[in-house]
Amino acid sequence: MTYIGKSVKRVEDRRFITGKGRYTDDIVLPGMTHAYILRSPYAHAKINGIDTSEAKAMDGVVAVFTGEDVKDIAGVPCGWQVNFKNGDTMKEPPHPLLVRDKVRHVGDAVAIVIAEEREIARDAADLIQVDYEELPAVVNAADAVQDGKALVHDDVPNNICFDWELGNPKEEVDAALDAADHITTLEFVNQRVTPNAIEPRSAIGSYESAGDHYTLYTTSQNPHLIRLLMCAFVLGIPEHKVRVVAPDVGGGFGSKIFHYTEEALMVWCSKQLERPVKWTADRSESFITDAQGRDHSTKAEMGFDKDGNIVGLRIKTFANLGAYLSTFSTCVPTWLHGTLLQGLYTTPKINVDVTAVFTNTVAVDAYRGAGRPEATYLLERMIDTAALEMGRDPAELRLQNFIPPFDGVEQAGYMTQVALQYDSGNYHRALEKALEMVDYKKFRKDQEKARAEGKLLGIGFSTYIEACGIAPSAVVGSLGARAGLYESAQVRVQPTGKVSVYTGSHSHGQGHETTFAQVVADRLGIDIGDVEIVHGDSEAVAFGMGTYGSRSLAVGGSAIMKSLDKVLEKGAKIAAHKLEAAVEDLDFAEGKWTVKGTDKSISFADVSLTAYVPHDYPQNLEPGMDFSSFYDPANFTYPFGAHIAIVEVDKDTGKVTLKRFVAVDDVGNVINPMIVEGQIHGGLAQGIGQALFEETIYDENGQLINGSYMDYTMPRADDLPSFEVDRTVTPCPHNPLGVKGAGEAGTIGSTPAVVNAVMDALSPLGIKNLAMPLTPERVWRYIQE
Amino acid sequence: MHLNGTHQLNATPQEIWKLLMNIDVLARITPAIDRLEPLGNDKYTAIAEVKLGPVKGSFTGEMEIADKQEPEHFTLRMQQNSRIGNVSAEGQIKLQPGASGQTEVAFTGDAKLSGTLARMGQRVLGGVANSLVKQFFKNLEDEIQANA
Repeated sequence: MTYIGKSVKRVEDRRFITGKGRYTDDIVLPGMTHAYILRSPYAHAKINGIDTSEAKAMDGVVAVFTGEDVKDIAGVPCGWQVNFKNGDTMKEPPHPLLVRDKVRHVGDAVAIVIAEEREIARDAADLIQVDYEELPAVVNAADAVQDGKALVHDDVPNNICFDWELGNPKEEVDAALDAADHITTLEFVNQRVTPNAIEPRSAIGSYESAGDHYTLYTTSQNPHLIRLLMCAFVLGIPEHKVRVVAPDVGGGFGSKIFHYTEEALMVWCSKQLERPVKWTADRSESFITDAQGRDHSTKAEMGFDKDGNIVGLRIKTFANLGAYLSTFSTCVPTWLHGTLLQGLYTTPKINVDVTAVFTNTVAVDAYRGAGRPEATYLLERMIDTAALEMGRDPAELRLQNFIPPFDGVEQAGYMTQVALQYDSGNYHRALEKALEMVDYKKFRKDQEKARAEGKLLGIGFSTYIEACGIAPSAVVGSLGARAGLYESAQVRVQPTGKVSVYTGSHSHGQGHETTFAQVVADRLGIDIGDVEIVHGDSEAVAFGMGTYGSRSLAVGGSAIMKSLDKVLEKGAKIAAHKLEAAVEDLDFAEGKWTVKGTDKSISFADVSLTAYVPHDYPQNLEPGMDFSSFYDPANFTYPFGAHIAIVEVDKDTGKVTLKRFVAVDDVGNVINPMIVEGQIHGGLAQGIGQALFEETIYDENGQLINGSYMDYTMPRADDLPSFEVDRTVTPCPHNPLGVKGAGEAGTIGSTPAVVNAVMDALSPLGIKNLAMPLTPERVWRYIQE
Repeated sequence: MHLNGTHQLNATPQEIWKLLMNIDVLARITPAIDRLEPLGNDKYTAIAEVKLGPVKGSFTGEMEIADKQEPEHFTLRMQQNSRIGNVSAEGQIKLQPGASGQTEVAFTGDAKLSGTLARMGQRVLGGVANSLVKQFFKNLEDEIQANA
């Protein structure tokens, strides 16, 4: 039986589509109380006093806590240290569980009310009197660094968290651009977006005095890391006294990677009250507390020689981090963004300069793609714009500048100007396949005809690369990560040959229970129904670094492979003993060991039974069949692809209609094509959402003005065409499955393809750089001008 | 959020001034205020029920009449608080005598919203802001006619 490469139906879907998923908010513990968090209506205000007496006196209220009560608890930490160019450590102001002195964004937590019922807690919170003194706010990163602006943190001058630089020395890049025959210059805003996981965040803290033991149930992509950060940095509780469970989780897209204040707060409150405490955000609260994504303002200059070869790239970016540092917010605009500015091109000189800035807005952190969409957006917008300016075909200009194919085995990996070594790639093949799929030559003829009829028809390209399979611990450690980024896996073979796999990678939509089981069933030659994948519980799983950066299969799957190797190695010894042969004389295939050239064999189930009933057993071999492994990858993985969008713009209304979307993605080997396709589809929808619809908008006072689904536009099914997706396969040379990761590809590649297509459509009108999202209103206004 | 508008009224600045300085009239004609209770020194407690698209709430706050220059202009300041967010607004009202006993009344001001009101009301309120000013003038016109 072969499972790898087959579109096995998702094991987890039965429970999800029959309403039997068990999410954090579904959990009800005996004696459980309910929390409501009072949040600031102001973006920036001094707190002159808080009066909680009325709220405390309300019937059904169990407790009310303010910043004063938690003032001795350290805030939540940042997991990645980035240094200033001059070597100084980044500014790292505290992020307290509840604020005392002043609020720094709309939604900042001021007090927590705990009551017998959620509605009581909510009503009681209305009785809390907070004496606010409103202060001027800063919202825009490039603006917030100016002298004399309001300071989000009084001890952070000019609101600058750090400045940072990567690539070739600036003088070299300046010289390359000075010598260029053509320079394309663009200024972009990669607008802020809200992740919008369908399940709002929720946390339950539960303390049992009998064993002095804590449990945290939380909507997390990352339960073990939450436990580590919360125990070691925030609450100072020994880790062996804390269990963190992330049960079914309804989407994350990055926003549930981070250790949030509410998690530590629920655990702390449950200890004070010796009762479980549950908090669940409503949608409005999610809009003002979930870490948001993107928000870069960039000036980019790309130089070309007379033949159209790229000779240099200079980038200056202001990255908005929001009011507080979130767990990975500092690495997103730096090591996940600057390192991707080589793209697929042979650009010989690159310099990227990033200033990371605090503002009076919700924290910004990793959102599906995390830094890589920002890098891809600017590179791909530059290339299409340059092609237009130089009168070149955008596809040809790309093919000319692509890095030549290399497999990472025969040919070495490609060393970039920005610190990475790509593993393997064949970029020409991906773009050529996509061009074939759209029938490019025919399209250009159709476009000519459409233009003659006055129609605005356009095509846009995006050829992207991403760094996934995050990440080699030693590398990220040297870059400032405060954690390793390996993964663990335990394979426990039960006596009857059934297999339980405990993975540190967490599934919140990715389909681990299916894909991982396919790998295990194939490797052991057993039925997929005999494999169960367990994840998301720190008590069951030895350790884990969570799911993000398209790392589950590349890193988590590789850890499983390591344990499977150990299972098979031991199994072979037992089989050899039972078959009275040497290990070298055995073959393992289709779930049994066979003595080469004979029909003497023993099944996997018989071997595992022998391991647990070791009556007739090899000397000096331990009984049992249970192996743990940790896998630390040798390198990142580098998926890539080519996306092409075709749009038509309505001249009279400005409405953009996406007519076709073709995506050729190369994610290395594929275990389950259906799941990969599903990941690509979801990613495309999110990336297209950013191009056409989504934008998180703050007014000049720092008020979020579109914090609901009536005001924030999510892409819908009828906004999207039927996607045409295909792939090429360039295996990853450095992990046992040859996989690269597929979770973020769609989001990274799609956004610039759509924007480029709109610019191509509008090019007869002389328009070349519109800001996202390309809403009908925005496009219409530009057409009118 | 800016609030602007001008309107011609069939009354003298002095007559209009008298009406506007009558607190019961001011409460009646100002949108988003149901009742004003004097606190002294031209300050009042302001009470209102407001429904803006999806958000509804009862507001209590303060209103102040300042910079009085009879019968030419005055400033209206308002700070309204509620569980759905706060509104602070300031507006200048100018009375300019015109021909044949008419007066041009001009209103210019700003309103700041916070909290849920900003997140969910702004879109609705932005559109109705100037119609609130119009409503104010319309109500004032009705009062003038009723007093004529």
